[in-house]
Amino acid sequence: MSAHGTPFAGSTRTRPTATLTESITAPGRRPGRRPYDTDVTRLLPRWLLVVVIAVIIAFIAAPVLYILFGSVNSDVAVARGEYFPSEFTLANYVAIWDTVALGQGLVNSILTAGAVAVASAALAVSTAYVLVRFRFLGRLTILRGLLALQSIPGTLLLLPVFVVFANIASATGVQVIGTRWGLFVTYLTFALPFSTWVMVTYLRGLPKELEEAARIDGASSGRILRSVVLPLSWPGIVVSAIFAFLLGWNDVLFSTIMTTPNTRTVAVVLQVLGTAQEGGAVPIYGQMMAASIVCAVPVVALYLVFQRYLVGGLTAGSVK
Amino acid sequence: MTATRSQTRPDTSARRPGDPRTARTRALSERERPLWMLLPGGVLMLVVIVVPLLVGVYIAMLDLDQYTLRQWFSAPFVGLANFAEAFTDSPLLHSIWISVSLSVLVTAVTVPIGVAAAISTQNRFPGRGLVRSVYLIPYVLPAFVVGTFFRTMLQPQGVVNTVFGTDVLWLNGSASYWALAGVMVWTSWPFVYLLSLAGLQAVDNEVHEAAALDGVTWWAKLRYIVFPYLRGPLSLAVIISILHNINNFTLPFVLFGIPLPSSVEVMPVLTYIASFQSFRFGLSAAMAICSLVIVAIPLFVYLRAVRLDTGDDAGPTRKQRRADLATLTAPAAADLEGARA
Repeated sequence: MSAHGTPFAGSTRTRPTATLTESITAPGRRPGRRPYDTDVTRLLPRWLLVVVIAVIIAFIAAPVLYILFGSVNSDVAVARGEYFPSEFTLANYVAIWDTVALGQGLVNSILTAGAVAVASAALAVSTAYVLVRFRFLGRLTILRGLLALQSIPGTLLLLPVFVVFANIASATGVQVIGTRWGLFVTYLTFALPFSTWVMVTYLRGLPKELEEAARIDGASSGRILRSVVLPLSWPGIVVSAIFAFLLGWNDVLFSTIMTTPNTRTVAVVLQVLGTAQEGGAVPIYGQMMAASIVCAVPVVALYLVFQRYLVGGLTAGSVK
Repeated sequence: MTATRSQTRPDTSARRPGDPRTARTRALSERERPLWMLLPGGVLMLVVIVVPLLVGVYIAMLDLDQYTLRQWFSAPFVGLANFAEAFTDSPLLHSIWISVSLSVLVTAVTVPIGVAAAISTQNRFPGRGLVRSVYLIPYVLPAFVVGTFFRTMLQPQGVVNTVFGTDVLWLNGSASYWALAGVMVWTSWPFVYLLSLAGLQAVDNEVHEAAALDGVTWWAKLRYIVFPYLRGPLSLAVIISILHNINNFTLPFVLFGIPLPSSVEVMPVLTYIASFQSFRFGLSAAMAICSLVIVAIPLFVYLRAVRLDTGDDAGPTRKQRRADLATLTAPAAADLEGARA
């Protein structure tokens, strides 16, 4: 946006970030009648901009603030439909750990999703590297397959995976359903195509020249992957690992079927909390809100820490 | 560039001494194609995806229930009977209608919201970074969390009815369709926003300047100059949104619980119930295959639309690069979406 030094650009701009060119060219024009509106790239009049942003933020914030308020409110008050808590209490955050096995759920989720993240990111790098840099028969089919696999309904795979696992158990005596390993393998089915595709888009944006220089120096492909591609692709690896992690963390479909009370992920624990209260006489909505926040915090934290990579890195970085 | 130069380098140990000279006639980076690197990921994907898929197709032709589950290969083979039952004697057609209409409706509502959001953050202003972060909150919150708190809000005595002074049963009966649609809109519009942002970035400054010279109004500029740039990214966004909305299991499952009200009996949950509530595994697999066929329609359009090859050897033109931007962004954003579903 700073590239335009044309005389009519930003002449009466009021924002303090006007560039040098703009301030040089500015004196040529007298301030117009619309003092805010002379940035040529401006898409909306200021009043409309304010309205749009305010409406959208209100739309987002109303439910989000509701859980925040609900989590520090008493169970009964939330059940009554109170938005602002009449009295603040942190009791919910203390109580949830005893009401359900939330701590165990968090541990299970972190272990399973973390393992999926590491495994799929590690496998994705080498697969994506070959897919991006070398041409061979079936390459486009594989790329297309990676996209198609992401759209397969989970319900289509749930049952076969369940049946295969059940039969492994009866054939070899090794129990798979209900273990973290079973869940780990299941999540890989979805995480691998995701992570590989993310790495494909990332590696495409890396300049080929560095690898060619290494190749001229006689490095093998394995060596190039290790010493040139890997160090350059950490942002991509982090992003694909995060996607894989979120996939495991957010799953409800598989974890409701394939876990026992000991291996339940946090998503299922939250469901248990939700259904537990419906049988009982005492509503525990406040605790549900607190538990929701506990489940959301790791995800939001990941997002905030890696926001630049997750949003900007993948879009801007991929076109250089 | 020559052999002598590389031989004088000390750190070429990775090259075998007897490296055949003929290999050098191929393009440098094509000299050695390490296709074996595909093996670990490829084999694993084959084992964990393709095998279950084939098993699923086979199960759809079996009369499999909880008693025959452990010896599923000896369950009675019934051919297409499960499919016949799914269409004639189960709520499948009803579910297909619910899923497809819901998905199209939600996508249609999210497009204007997403475009408006993208346009509102296109120009710099103080606090823009914060606004952009806030915009993505509904999108990064796990779907099971979103379902949980909307479920609380939509209780008969919940905050929605209290604030609006209404007395609607959002979680039962026919209103549940609109409740689900509303929650799906709330969580999924930032996906359209992300893709629209990518489209807006492709609008050249010269175009803005030309528009300013012509003195167009803001609406004319949006309508005739900016929106055409968004056509590509938006059609991609529409296809992917429809795809993911159809596949959405978590939100209806968490929002309403099992059993679902009939007006929100979407395909994924119906399949789930057939398996793990009624234990009709064969029927459920047949339903899942039907849903795959439904999903295959937008999926096919998507795969045709997306450019898999960036063709960087040919030196992409500016226009191509723009198209790449859209295609590269879309799957990445779709990943986020997928990670939620």
